[in-house]
Amino acid sequence: MKPATFEYHRPSSVEEATGLLADLGHDAELLAGNQSLGIIMANRLATPDHLVDLGQVEALSGVTVREDEVEIGAMTTHRDLEFADDLREALEMVPESAEQIAGPSVRNRGTVGGSVAEADPAGNYPTAFVALDADLHLTAADDERTIPAREFFIAYMFTDLGPDELITGVTIDREPFPVDRTGMAFEELKRGAQTFPTVSAGTALRVDDPESDNPTIEEARVALANVSDVPLHVPDAEDALEGDTLEAGIEAAAEAAIDAADPSPEMHADEEWKVELAGEYTRRSLRTAHERATR
Amino acid sequence: MIEFSGDFESDHPPDELWNYFTDPEILAQCAPGCDHIEQESESEMSATVAVGVGSVKPTFDVDMVVVEADRPNRLVMNAGGDASRNSFETVAEMTLEEREDGGTHVDWHAEAAVSGLIASLGQRALGSVADRLVNNFFEDLEDLADEGVPAESKISEKPEATATLDE
Repeated sequence: MKPATFEYHRPSSVEEATGLLADLGHDAELLAGNQSLGIIMANRLATPDHLVDLGQVEALSGVTVREDEVEIGAMTTHRDLEFADDLREALEMVPESAEQIAGPSVRNRGTVGGSVAEADPAGNYPTAFVALDADLHLTAADDERTIPAREFFIAYMFTDLGPDELITGVTIDREPFPVDRTGMAFEELKRGAQTFPTVSAGTALRVDDPESDNPTIEEARVALANVSDVPLHVPDAEDALEGDTLEAGIEAAAEAAIDAADPSPEMHADEEWKVELAGEYTRRSLRTAHERATR
Repeated sequence: MIEFSGDFESDHPPDELWNYFTDPEILAQCAPGCDHIEQESESEMSATVAVGVGSVKPTFDVDMVVVEADRPNRLVMNAGGDASRNSFETVAEMTLEEREDGGTHVDWHAEAAVSGLIASLGQRALGSVADRLVNNFFEDLEDLADEGVPAESKISEKPEATATLDE
């Protein structure tokens, strides 16, 4: 099928884009990398009257790794994140979640902002950003605000983003994740490269002594994808891990993930299995994170 | 058939809240995605409501009939909405119970028959969003009651109407 008729806008600046949104509001849809919206429009599930293409807004692309924080522009592609070596050094979970999205052609076009705004609970970035306690930056014609990723995702594909707002970027505080004592991982179960994962787990561990074989965990982060209607932060799993060794806490952390999981069944994965996977992928992701923290 | 339900706590007594729940202007302000509500008769209203999941956001022409209005305890509405390639029909009921401290405990329940493209999203997706939208509605209404915005009960039940779904 072909999409229903729409008017196409191609602003070249954030101001121009937010100006269009202020005028068009609910009748407009933002177009980022066009890896989801085009399909939904071709099926006429979505029939926006106006399309505001952010492809020419160059100010929204790029990764900046600073000493205290990392800043990622909303129009940065998955591919750019995947190959951002300085970002991999600083916050490995982000490029690792990027490189596992679909195939190369999707990663060449798809963007961080598009994925975050789409807010599919199976998506990689929403879960990674919830785990890392990232801040999302939103802007409208006459207003801008910052909202923690942990508060942004409200329900299935439903976010705090207003019809006149766009996401300009993401910042992540590096302070909790000193490179020499931190390991992080994004592990997912996927039945095929081009599909959404069945369950994913993003975890990070900061240890007291990376030279030790059994260091004490100072800080833990655990978040899961696709086992709830939003990316699922699991503070109980983090509490179970902090203050002791990985072996002391990993089973309790997996149990906490299982308790927190409330997945909806899919054709290929029933609820019971997804709950079990929530525990298993929490374990796997934590083990990888631990190896990386102590390497 | 999709079922939704939930509850809400208000600091205001049922009799005061009732005016808000039965004032079309207040409803229009609080209902998510709703531009305006026209009162067609003492018990009938029509509205244009745009709600959606992700970029799927149809605009519905909604007709509502109040089939039971037992002030200040129970309100039952029959509503149907049509949008291009989507439609729904719902029976929604709400009971208000006075708490010992003078506030109100609101229980709500709705059964909906959804057809068209939004139906393919499934109960979990729609339920997740519906819960959020209904809570927003109650919170906005509570805010108006907190601010003391005047509300006037303008709706009464339609005689001999009963709540049914065509299915």
